[in-house]
Amino acid sequence: MSEEMDKQALLDEAFDSIIEADELRAMEVITKAEASGFSLEELLRDGFSTAMRELGDRFASGEVFLPELIFTSEVMKNVAATIDSKLDTGEVKKKGVMVIGTVAGDVHDIGKGIVASLVKTSGVQVYDLGREVPAEEFVAKAIEYNADFIGSSALLTTTMTEQKRIEELLEAEGIKSEFKTIVGGAPVTQRWADKIGANQYCEDASDTVNYVVKILNTETKMI
Amino acid sequence: MEKYFTRMGDGEGIWMTKEEIKEDVLKGMETAVLKGKSQPLESDEIDRLIEILTMPEKNVSVERGHEGITTFDAGTLKLCVRQAIPIDRSTAVLIHERVLCSETMELCNTDYSYKAIKNIAAEEAMAMEHAQMSCILPLFYGAMPNMGLYTKPDGPVDNWSELLPSGQIKEAMTAQEEAAKLCIKDMIYVGSALAEAGACGIQFDTSGASGDADAFAALSAAKVLSEKYPDLSIIIGMANEFNLGMHGKLTFEGERLAGQYPAKQVKSAEAAGAHNFGVVINTNSSRSFAWNLARSLTYVKEATRVAEIPVIVNVGMGVGGIPLTNTSPTDATTRVAKTMLELGKADGL
Repeated sequence: MSEEMDKQALLDEAFDSIIEADELRAMEVITKAEASGFSLEELLRDGFSTAMRELGDRFASGEVFLPELIFTSEVMKNVAATIDSKLDTGEVKKKGVMVIGTVAGDVHDIGKGIVASLVKTSGVQVYDLGREVPAEEFVAKAIEYNADFIGSSALLTTTMTEQKRIEELLEAEGIKSEFKTIVGGAPVTQRWADKIGANQYCEDASDTVNYVVKILNTETKMI
Repeated sequence: MEKYFTRMGDGEGIWMTKEEIKEDVLKGMETAVLKGKSQPLESDEIDRLIEILTMPEKNVSVERGHEGITTFDAGTLKLCVRQAIPIDRSTAVLIHERVLCSETMELCNTDYSYKAIKNIAAEEAMAMEHAQMSCILPLFYGAMPNMGLYTKPDGPVDNWSELLPSGQIKEAMTAQEEAAKLCIKDMIYVGSALAEAGACGIQFDTSGASGDADAFAALSAAKVLSEKYPDLSIIIGMANEFNLGMHGKLTFEGERLAGQYPAKQVKSAEAAGAHNFGVVINTNSSRSFAWNLARSLTYVKEATRVAEIPVIVNVGMGVGGIPLTNTSPTDATTRVAKTMLELGKADGL
């Protein structure tokens, strides 16, 4: 019972340290966990990462704002790096690479920027291609960066057809299966994703993070 | 079981049972209650909303006594630009007044941003004088704060949307504060020029589109103009149902702007001396019309409950529950209009 309480206290402390973006406190929790023989993987998964997901939800409902979220993600990045360095295992979760951009003819990039920021917080390397990005550039950069995900945003009914062009180009090159394509933007729906052959429609930044993390958690690689 | 024709948020026609519609109405309402801390709809209001959604008529109308005023933001863009009808803006104003029966109307430029208009403010002033010579309705001038235009390469300030993802938080906040200062200056300059040319009002359309600093700029300019021209009507129209926290720390008259939902947005508009508030709730393309309308109604009702100035609901493409399609279907637009006026207690559309 006491051990369970200690474990829960550690998880709570890890959770609170991220919510409060307190890096010093987070590092102390890691030290305490090590001293008591508590699994650092569990601490990361059920303590620190749970707090990041909570912050993502608070961001989605307008209770937490982008600068705070990005500041916290820097703390989280250092926490994850510290735990990674202490884990004595050859197998780690694949981190993932994403190229993201707003499609050609579309200058709306605030939403895309938020998605890029949030996906970064989950440890994925994100290459933001900017706005008005032609379909050819999405494909070329995805190949160049060896990306796992191609994220395209379209805010207009007149530009969402560019997302279809990305799928067509990937098919034509015979490399469709090498990437997970994610489409988003106000007029975009899962039905549109299904229609054009995209892997996933994501409604917002949190949704994108959840999808990316889910995919990465099912794929591991040896280092 | 009987099914009713309705739509998805992207305009696709679908058929739902009354039970399915009720389920979506409740879910849409709950979203607004949870996120916007709005009061839930009363059970008789929910029943009435479902009744409106399932009325057999293709188009519906308000009951006598529930009429509201109508106005048009981006006013002179509708016929002259979007419909490509080759008429001048004064004629467009008269068509809205004498054919479409609009109570008020907005004169605006194709380049719908205050920054762009400052270079042609004198020409816009002449257009206002010309239009005012022939129309009777109260004629406003309007444009967007569009604070993104002040960022490189279009303007002098660093782009916070690029700085934030790279972790340069302080720099991103400073950039927004600098852009807001420039934006406020331009809005006051253009607003003053048009007020002195005879505009009945000035509108700040799509306020907050670039985040909380964009909303801050609109409110700040509105405050200056409302004090400078006490007879000038000020309308603040929003961009979103909540102010996106791109800066996060900005306050106006003691209230933090980031994360404000309509009920708080309208109080900030009042504090700025605005006379009308244009509430905006974005439509979710992936949800049903029932879900979207219930969610929009819950936000609107909360805003009208606390507001001391008239609340005008934005009911165009992709807002207020109306599907996100190039041409808004009238089965949806008329239901939104009826709902917002009868149940939402909105003053106009």
